[in-house]
Amino acid sequence: MATVFMKWLETSPETYDRGIQLLTLGRLTPLKEKIAREYVQPGMRVLEIGCGTGTLTQMMAERGAAVTGIDASPLMLAEAQAKIAAAGLDKRVTLKQMDASLIGEKFEPKSFDLIVSTLVFSELPVSAQTYVLAACVDLLAANGRLLIADEVLPQNKLGRWLYWLIRLPLVLITWLLTRTSTAALVDFDNLLSEVGFNTNRTVSYLVGTLVLYEAAPANLQSPISNLPAAVNGRLHHQTTILTLLKDAWALFFRVIPPYPKQQPGLYAIGQPDETAPVLVTGNYDLTVRRVVKALDGAIDCWLLVADSAGINVWCAAGGGYFTAEKVITAVKSSHLEEIVSHHALILPQLAANGVDGWKIRQETGWGVHWGPVKAADIPAYLAARRKKTEAMRWVRFPLKDRLEMVSATLGLYGLMILLPTFIFWRHLFWPVTAVFLSLAYFYAIVLPWLPGKDGLWKSIPLTVLALAGLGVWTAVIHPLPPRQLFNWAIALTAFSVFTGGELQGMSPLMRGEQANWGWEATIWAVLAAIYWVTPLLTK
Amino acid sequence: MSENPTFWSSIAEHWEIARTLRHLQIHFDAEKCTGVWQCYEVCPVGCWTPNLETRKVTFHDPDWCIACGACVLQCPEKAIELK
Repeated sequence: MATVFMKWLETSPETYDRGIQLLTLGRLTPLKEKIAREYVQPGMRVLEIGCGTGTLTQMMAERGAAVTGIDASPLMLAEAQAKIAAAGLDKRVTLKQMDASLIGEKFEPKSFDLIVSTLVFSELPVSAQTYVLAACVDLLAANGRLLIADEVLPQNKLGRWLYWLIRLPLVLITWLLTRTSTAALVDFDNLLSEVGFNTNRTVSYLVGTLVLYEAAPANLQSPISNLPAAVNGRLHHQTTILTLLKDAWALFFRVIPPYPKQQPGLYAIGQPDETAPVLVTGNYDLTVRRVVKALDGAIDCWLLVADSAGINVWCAAGGGYFTAEKVITAVKSSHLEEIVSHHALILPQLAANGVDGWKIRQETGWGVHWGPVKAADIPAYLAARRKKTEAMRWVRFPLKDRLEMVSATLGLYGLMILLPTFIFWRHLFWPVTAVFLSLAYFYAIVLPWLPGKDGLWKSIPLTVLALAGLGVWTAVIHPLPPRQLFNWAIALTAFSVFTGGELQGMSPLMRGEQANWGWEATIWAVLAAIYWVTPLLTK
Repeated sequence: MSENPTFWSSIAEHWEIARTLRHLQIHFDAEKCTGVWQCYEVCPVGCWTPNLETRKVTFHDPDWCIACGACVLQCPEKAIELK
């Protein structure tokens, strides 16, 4: 079920274009046409960072330029490739799957006359923006230009207020229709000049919220030395009303986006020096806070927060959101090389299902060590010179975690099942709620003692217990008429199969709950058939 | 990619995911193993143990395997397959 939901959340290339059109009120296309018309000349070497579905790529190639387009998403690239092929522009266009942060290494210095990027920089953390801009300085040939079209957060209060007034409904509608959203640049003019660009805003649409920057390198020297401090700050463990509220939300609704995120980048915990260990994690707010809680006051270290789309490391790695590329980007953009004297990264063990350790070793020269499963074990792991005990490498699923994860799963499913019950069958709302919740929490408590190798098998003893409970209820406490007894028996069986089958995804102790879908669907179909057919036979 | 999923094709896709995930099994080629023990380092359910004599690894009970794919991804010799 969760995966169906995730599928719906995914932005496909087709809906992405539509979403962007909606969000920018159609202003982006004229902007792109202007770029192609006024800045691109035949024979120019153009690099497009984040070519998306290739709209601008095609326009620029049609003007006669040799365009290299990069994008991090293979889906978008495939769409762009199709577009370019259909227009017969293959010879002038090279498309590559690449993260923006790698351009400095993958392309030769001074090899482009024009670098173009639309709606990409606002998606990057500030540290990565700085890094990519610095690379652009190196890549531009003499008299080269950098063009950035992006959303910009206005500087003054009134401007910001207006911005949100216009944006909020737009963002909501667009997200609902296309699952597309964008971010906005903050204080970008200053960043451009800090990196070494002379800039002017040539076009500005929608009260200055959609801007085209035209920038030229101020001098020919590489400006790495005047970068702003690479470290994002120091993280402390603290409990505030806000963290309590976030915890409460996460307890029941953590599967519902948008996920609370931490800004990716390098952080200090305690007083780390150049020999302090570097720990890597994802940028899910809850993950970062739990790591900090485990480490603050215990050890001094660097925490490198990589962009995992705000998802916990296990699910993000499994779903392709937390990858070697994301870690490499974080290492490069945080200037880690200049901050510590060693070359060892410690990654969470539960990211190993998606982060290719060998790729990181090969592309960065940094060593990759798989740390313990639980953040709480990190101090002991470091004290033992990066040796894991068996207990540190195995996933455990103690009662506290089981209760937490059942609550997290029930938040969404509870809404999906109980809300319709409340609306359509209100007289059944309280009994159904009571049965649904008690069955799920009962399952969480007795899980280790129920026989069966996975959730689906465990749902058999759960069903037996649930039906026994129903028997006791009708015999001792409140006799039910046969028809109602029959309905409850069917419902309890269906609930039990659902609970066992779906709650399997709660922990990396069993296979993903998707493994059960076939059987779950079959069992429900049989139950539905019994429910409809039996009354006909007994009439 | 360009074809739009229909209701039935989505059902079929999910059915296929379920079937595959349910039946995935580890296939380990001990010949290829060079003893870097990355699988042991990353397995969250203890399927792999290093053998100090042969310097290779041993695969345990397939019933424990949760088919997460970590060992497959981290094995530099591609000695492990999940199929």
